[in-house]
Amino acid sequence: MINSKEKAMVEVINVKKSFGDIHVLKDITLSVEKGKIISIIGPSGSGKSTLLRSVNHLETIDAGEIWFDGVQVNQPQLKGRAFEKHINRIRQKMGMVFQQFNLFPHLTAIENVTLAPIKLKKMAKKEARELGRYFLAKVGLTDKEVVYPSKLSGGQKQRVAIARALAMEPKVMLFDEATSALDPELVEEVNQVMKQLAKEHMTMLIVTHEMNFAQEVSDRALFIDEGYVVEEGDPKMLFNSPTQERTQLFLRKMLTE
Amino acid sequence: MDYQLMYDITPLLLKAAWVTLKISFWSFWLGLIVSSILVATRLSGILILVWLSRVYVSFIRGTPFFVQLLVMYYGTPAFGIELDAYNAGIIAIGFNIGAYMSEAMRGSILAVDHGQNEAARSLGFSGFSTFLYVVLPQAAGLMIRSVGVLTVIMIKSSSLVSIISVVELTYQAQRIIGSTYKPLEVFAVAAVLYLIIIYGVRYIIDRSYDHYTRYLH
Amino acid sequence: MKLNFVPVLSYFDSLLAGLWWTILLAVSAGIISVFGGILIATIINYTSRIVSAPLRFFVWLFMGTPLLLQLWLFYHGWAQLDILLPAMFIGIFGLGFHYASYNADVYRAALETISHGQYEAARSLGFGHLRTLFLIIIPQAMYRSIPQLGNNLIIMVKDTAILSIIGISEMVLAAQYAISVTYRPFEFYITVALIFYAINLILESLLNHYEKKSLIKL
Repeated sequence: MINSKEKAMVEVINVKKSFGDIHVLKDITLSVEKGKIISIIGPSGSGKSTLLRSVNHLETIDAGEIWFDGVQVNQPQLKGRAFEKHINRIRQKMGMVFQQFNLFPHLTAIENVTLAPIKLKKMAKKEARELGRYFLAKVGLTDKEVVYPSKLSGGQKQRVAIARALAMEPKVMLFDEATSALDPELVEEVNQVMKQLAKEHMTMLIVTHEMNFAQEVSDRALFIDEGYVVEEGDPKMLFNSPTQERTQLFLRKMLTE
Repeated sequence: MDYQLMYDITPLLLKAAWVTLKISFWSFWLGLIVSSILVATRLSGILILVWLSRVYVSFIRGTPFFVQLLVMYYGTPAFGIELDAYNAGIIAIGFNIGAYMSEAMRGSILAVDHGQNEAARSLGFSGFSTFLYVVLPQAAGLMIRSVGVLTVIMIKSSSLVSIISVVELTYQAQRIIGSTYKPLEVFAVAAVLYLIIIYGVRYIIDRSYDHYTRYLH
Repeated sequence: MKLNFVPVLSYFDSLLAGLWWTILLAVSAGIISVFGGILIATIINYTSRIVSAPLRFFVWLFMGTPLLLQLWLFYHGWAQLDILLPAMFIGIFGLGFHYASYNADVYRAALETISHGQYEAARSLGFGHLRTLFLIIIPQAMYRSIPQLGNNLIIMVKDTAILSIIGISEMVLAAQYAISVTYRPFEFYITVALIFYAINLILESLLNHYEKKSLIKL
């Protein structure tokens, strides 16, 4: 665990979460400083997706605290519309990319990207379009502006999804197994975009199965298993010579698949 | 086959068909409003509202429309409400078709992938905005076919308002049969008019369907 | 708003008498619609397009026009041909034929879902064309149609109320007679609605129960 005098961008403190009888997160504490890239690995069911989704409150935690940019995300004392307003405001400063892309199928690529800026930031349509074009260019899809998602490949869809999240100019990007649903040959184009974001010092939390990518891109890596953080540290160290036996077992399994 | 008669009665039946169209038009929109209210209450999560919505839909679907119509026209004066036949008809049809539409609406809203909801929420959209900009446009494409089928059924049910003396197509047909004793000829013309109306509606529905699902191809 | 259900209680036996007729009408029309539908569907699917054309036309016509209009046609039509039929007959056959058209549609869809392979297997075992149809294909189609058929029948029970219009003494007409004496339309019509609702619930649970059972069989 790294202790920093600088206020962390994302703080997860003693978080617990159960789905019925299943304790998915048993006690997680984690800190993400601004501009750092943290990758989270672990077996299915370990709770890594749940953890990520708790950060933007798509999952409600049962105990503990989650802090983003100095504001507490989970606020049990706020109810109803007050909480709604609070959480919407927070989410507008976060970006999430889903395994299943979740692009809005009834909107073109650029409409997907500009919907939130127009409706939430009350941006003028012209201005939003400029913004949309900028981010689509950033992910390398300028020529797909007016194309509907049904006509895009998986990799292209995910890149539009990234542009859509970036268009709100978030302070942190959350990637929930962004490439797990992609055919192998389409994974690289998405990785490239993520690497570019990393170079630009976007704060990123990446849940992934891609060990090589995680090692290349992240500043710190976490191995989560059965609801606990088993090991955390420098990626090169964690991936190549982990100290915990469970980490070793997991990595070995991943390599042989 | 008395073709001369068929030719002669056509203008009369056309006028009556127009009344059928008007009734269907107003009933349709009333039905949509009723349906939206039912879906909103059903999905609200507030137990008493959910229960009310379910009971209403179950009751309407479980009882004959004809009886509902009779209650709306003959039964409402007991509550101090005096409706003329035309309005009673529209309201009865609207309340009836609304119940059926609500099932179609609810089904299609629930059929929209949950991931859509999550993506919109993760961008910071409120629940209502998510529904308006992301879920509803997609649900529309899914429900149009069912709504179309229901609309056709509704147009046929509208024939029952002839019983409370609304001068629509079936009423006029029955009257003409009564005075000319040529049921086959009158039926033929009336049937053609109903079929034209129904195919017209089907056409509109199909074009709407194409419009709302254009992004799928 | 002064509702008074006491008159309903005193006329309740006449409502029940009407209910008895409602059930009778529904069962009779139901039988016609089920078997009529099979007949129509078989003829349409297994004869040449020319032969089946008039039938296909009638199915299309009966599905595309209101039941009430069809009833007026039959009601006055037979009289025009100088054949005097009791309203009951006209009601049962009118309702029956109307729903036979809908059921024919259901059967035809079911027939199409039975793979051609079944037909080929039967033929290769030595079954003739007609025997294949009647012993193997049609029974399967009937079995698969049952849920949708059940739904149609439940809808048809409600449509028996329309038969009151041509003077058949079922429950709605009984209520109307009582209303003409007691001047309590809301109370009587709501009671009739509730009785229909009860019947509907019973029939739906029967259908549900059957569907569950048959799923286990498969």
